Amino acid sequence: MPSTGGSRILENYRPPFDATAVKRVKALGGIVVGKTNLDEFGMGSTTEGSAYKVTSNPWDISRVPGGSSGGSAAAVSARQCAVSLGSDTGGSVRQPASFCGVVGLKPTYGRVSRYGLMAYASSLDVIGCFGSSVADAGILLGAISGHDRLDATSSDTGAPDFTAHFPPADAFGAKPLQGLRVGLIRETLDSGVDHGVTSTVQRAASHLEELGCTVKEVSLPSFSLGLPAYYILASSESSSNLSRYDGVRYGSQAAAEELNSLYGDSRARGFGAEVKMRILMGTYALSAGYYDAYYKRAQQVRTVIRKSFKAALDENDILISPAAPSAAYKIGEKKNDPLAMYAGDIMTVNVNLAGLPALVLPCGFVEGGPAGLPVGLQMIGAAFDEEKLLKVGHIFEQTLQGHRFVPPL
Amino acid sequence: MTRQAHCQTVSLKVLNLNWKSHTPPVDSSSCPLPSLHSTLRRILRNCSTAATGSSLQPPDVPRLAETARISLTPIEVEEFTPKIRQVIDWFGQLQDVELQSVEPALRADTEAYNLREDTPETFENREAMVSGVPSYEEPYIKVPKVLSKE
Repeated sequence: MPSTGGSRILENYRPPFDATAVKRVKALGGIVVGKTNLDEFGMGSTTEGSAYKVTSNPWDISRVPGGSSGGSAAAVSARQCAVSLGSDTGGSVRQPASFCGVVGLKPTYGRVSRYGLMAYASSLDVIGCFGSSVADAGILLGAISGHDRLDATSSDTGAPDFTAHFPPADAFGAKPLQGLRVGLIRETLDSGVDHGVTSTVQRAASHLEELGCTVKEVSLPSFSLGLPAYYILASSESSSNLSRYDGVRYGSQAAAEELNSLYGDSRARGFGAEVKMRILMGTYALSAGYYDAYYKRAQQVRTVIRKSFKAALDENDILISPAAPSAAYKIGEKKNDPLAMYAGDIMTVNVNLAGLPALVLPCGFVEGGPAGLPVGLQMIGAAFDEEKLLKVGHIFEQTLQGHRFVPPL
Repeated sequence: MTRQAHCQTVSLKVLNLNWKSHTPPVDSSSCPLPSLHSTLRRILRNCSTAATGSSLQPPDVPRLAETARISLTPIEVEEFTPKIRQVIDWFGQLQDVELQSVEPALRADTEAYNLREDTPETFENREAMVSGVPSYEEPYIKVPKVLSKE
């Protein structure tokens, strides 16, 4: 099936093999309906970075669906398919899930094989699931998880049936989450976050308390360092990963008289602006003499963040936060300001740095669009604790009154 | 033991240096959601960058483009340079974080690599791979000549 990664450099490319995740879906009888739009090679937070088309948010077609897996989120939201796959390197499944009012699940790094996932940042990339319910996302996760000998970073931890222990709705009882310790990340409720988002998330926290949880604020002091560390690591790794697109063995090729021009022109013509910039930034950060200053320090920040999350998750069963500092914004709003776009990833990147699983599910609305704009709640779990996350998410979802998350199409 | 102390297993000291660079030329009229601007300003304010001129040269975009084998047009160089500089400047805040005894983490987990047996396998769809090659003349993948550099 034609697979472009949202890029012109892979125009007319047909992969000669299926990704492991896709193979597993097909083996279980899943029907692959098609491919969805994305920001080129996963780089972006709006899906406007696609070389092909701009995807609209089903809740308001003048707004972005989020990104980079905006097409996959929008397709589920618009009920064009039951479930979909996306990839999450810095929030690319969770943020569009929030913007489109669907469930987005980012598994633990190593839970799902990356074989066949077009690499962006290999130490951060994971394949994630979208669904219109937590149960559906959980079923898809179960289908694609498990060790794969073709991915050296794929974990040996088994792949359980993630939804097997969901209590039936009539068996919830008054306090189905009694005793669950929930930590609300204080740094995600700062003044930089949209007021409507904060109050929606705080209402979600109250809902969790009604279900029997204890919700306490938790501080992760290194939180804000995650954003620059993430972008250093991601651009550095992408500059290396995208060097394979040289116009020689696959994809589109520019005419040239000489080899270096073949490389240079094929890549210049084939890559979009955001991709080019990130490759250049990554090239800079990895240059001789600069590695210690940027890449190595970012790796050290990763250690700090990992440890702070682990400590917080030793004291709490799950951590919660918004999935994004705002609801979906207008198409074109962030186009010319990279730092403003990057700032929107603040809620999600640390989870990738720590390699932890996270679930985003719609929990309320803010004003905007014809019927309001959905807001997602992010739940973060300990490594390989997807079962707990999904169970909590399922109970939250099934008991949430007064909201229907179907866009007015 | 307080939760805070328990959370911070590594002490982090962020020097309180003034943010020397200008704030990015963000046009507030292009962003009607003020909250995202404040997020950006807050992040930029809270971070610090090396106050003194560091030994790190600012990015030389044309040279980087050559290294990365991307033929940029002069317009692209002009457009990209300020944006790239802005982001690299922003990266600089990590210079001031105390990370003396912190181990760099290659990736999230600590599991050793699971390497599979080194047994060769024949890829079953060689034909599809070959048909995807832009310039092919059995059995060669064709490329233009390499000019020797002076």
